[in-house]
Amino acid sequence: MTNAMELYQLLPKTNCKECGKTSCMAFAVALLARELTVDACPPLKNEPKFKENYEKLKERVSPAEGATETGLIVHEELCFGCGNCVVACPVNVANDPYGVGSGNAPKDEKKLILSIEDGIVRAKNVDECRRFGKNKILCTGCIVTCPVEAIEFVV
Amino acid sequence: MEKEYYVCTGCGLLCEDIETELEKRAISKVYTACRVGVAHMKENPGTAKFWVEGKNTDEATAIGKAAALLKAAKNPLIFGLDNSTNEAQKKAIELAKKLNATLDDSSSFSFGPLMAALLQKKFKTCSLDEVRDKADVSVFWGADPSDSHPRQLSKFAYFPRGKEKQRGWEEERTAIAIDIRKTHTAKICGNEFYQVPLGGDAEFMEALIAGLSGKLPKTSYKYPPKKLLELANLLKAAKFGVIFIGQDLLYSLETLAPLFRLMDTLNEKAKGDFFLIPLLEAYNMRGFNENLFEETGFVNRVKFEAGSVKHGPEYSVVESLKAKAVDAALIIGSDPLANLPYSIIKELLEIPLITIDPCETLTSKKAQVSIRSGVSGVEAGGSALRIDGVRVAFKPVFESKCPSDEEILFKIMEAF
Amino acid sequence: MDFGSFLSAPELKLKIVTYRDIFQNKALIEDRFGEEYIAKSALIKLDSVDLKNLSLKKGETVILKNSFGKVVVKAEASDSETPHRGIAYMPNSPWSNRLVSTETGGTGVPRFKEIEATVVSAKGEKITELEF
Repeated sequence: MTNAMELYQLLPKTNCKECGKTSCMAFAVALLARELTVDACPPLKNEPKFKENYEKLKERVSPAEGATETGLIVHEELCFGCGNCVVACPVNVANDPYGVGSGNAPKDEKKLILSIEDGIVRAKNVDECRRFGKNKILCTGCIVTCPVEAIEFVV
Repeated sequence: MEKEYYVCTGCGLLCEDIETELEKRAISKVYTACRVGVAHMKENPGTAKFWVEGKNTDEATAIGKAAALLKAAKNPLIFGLDNSTNEAQKKAIELAKKLNATLDDSSSFSFGPLMAALLQKKFKTCSLDEVRDKADVSVFWGADPSDSHPRQLSKFAYFPRGKEKQRGWEEERTAIAIDIRKTHTAKICGNEFYQVPLGGDAEFMEALIAGLSGKLPKTSYKYPPKKLLELANLLKAAKFGVIFIGQDLLYSLETLAPLFRLMDTLNEKAKGDFFLIPLLEAYNMRGFNENLFEETGFVNRVKFEAGSVKHGPEYSVVESLKAKAVDAALIIGSDPLANLPYSIIKELLEIPLITIDPCETLTSKKAQVSIRSGVSGVEAGGSALRIDGVRVAFKPVFESKCPSDEEILFKIMEAF
Repeated sequence: MDFGSFLSAPELKLKIVTYRDIFQNKALIEDRFGEEYIAKSALIKLDSVDLKNLSLKKGETVILKNSFGKVVVKAEASDSETPHRGIAYMPNSPWSNRLVSTETGGTGVPRFKEIEATVVSAKGEKITELEF
């Protein structure tokens, strides 16, 4: 996984503070935390000499930009819709015990985090995820049950 | 609003909880089904199509030509039907009787002997619903349901809450994979993956039997006895154990005897009962085996002859073609040109072929008569038997002009 | 002058184990004559050392041959954690079936799963087309 140092290497390293951070390293950390986006660095975005690095950074950081608020990413090309994560997710079980909790189609969709659409897992209601919020815990229910590592959490 | 559920006939699990959205008489969205199910349900639906000698024609011409070819044959073969409804299968049995035909399906080179033993009650079997409600130990042997029956673990065998399994898979269930390679299913089983060398399954069974009986489990390939004993103890502690058998195990065993001995030993030594469920792949192979068994006492490889029925390897699709014993073939919902060895295919290309299938296949392209039938559960209704023998009835998702296999067979018989 | 072409290409004996793959099955249903199905079917996965010994790079084609047939498919290194030299994996397909023996001993059951064959670089030859 990408770390802050790798991102820093691709930045202008001028500590110009235009992004509002005190240094380029601080900006790299903010990028990683998805507090800021690559576009928040004006020199990187506008100066042609940084074009290559700008694109590289966009590529590196983009999966995280596509992630949900809990950092959950679904690698759709790997997922084949077995539904293991849907049925194993403790929040799904608690919110829909006789539907997905029992291995069936959802009966009560309102608070489901994971469900299968067109053969691929979709994440929604992520604020319900146990990895989110004040009392968050590092639940791995959907990760360890996946046969193809299609679910990943980025930090 | 009450939800409307449909049945997916993509594999032998016959998931009956599928929701769909329609757009312009085609399925545009599928909920809860796996990727294979989605591909299956979205399979280009459309109108009926009829070909004779590769040219588009009308229904009457195609049906008439099919009937004529079958009538002209002395020893016709009817093959396939694992992807047809119970109703179509029964119709095909009737047709085979009328034609004195040889009748066989793909179980001929896969699950046939195991299904025969199952229907003769040589071991205990149970339903998938019982597995969900009660099973604490599930063994996948030479079976990779993650790839062949994707929802098998989430719907039944490992992850769901069941009546007597309310505390979740981590606490109350153990999944074990025994295989020659680390399959997707083996990956989920984590530490309970036992890798057996190629062709080493029978010996592994004997060693397990020894371990269960308090003897030292030995194998010629020196499988660590400690690990084998751990597995034996795990199985012994099971209150409700199930062994799911895949095609790969069947190809590795010369005879099923060690498997039956293992089942007997497990039922003798384990805390609870042990059941066996074959992971049949085609959506209604179980139906073919049971429907034919009910009629003849055999699950496949039969030849009807003036009111009597003969059975044996010589009536298998492979041997009857090899021996040039059949002189025309009606292939229903199967693609032998893709699935059989090349050398057998050559024999098939020597005789007139008639195909009934929802899609164009290698076989249909070579057929004298080819008829496109409706996709079961999408364009045509009927019923089928799930891998555990539970009957599942289904209605089509939308009205289609595409005839079902059953209707086509009916019309062919009428045209005689 | 290309002296390499005079050297006989290294050849290996293999036991081929066939398997099924869900994405191959999906591709089959979607279009059994399509590119995706061919890409996911006309394929053999070798131990990475075997691949190297055959002087092959990922994605190059190989000729698989035995007394029952010959077929050209793409070669890849398998992602298996444990080495499996001499054993290769191939999705169940019309391509693997070209190598299946007719010798059934009268049982009616061909040996679909465990196929013995030799493998050699196909030197750029294209994947066998399915024609009858």
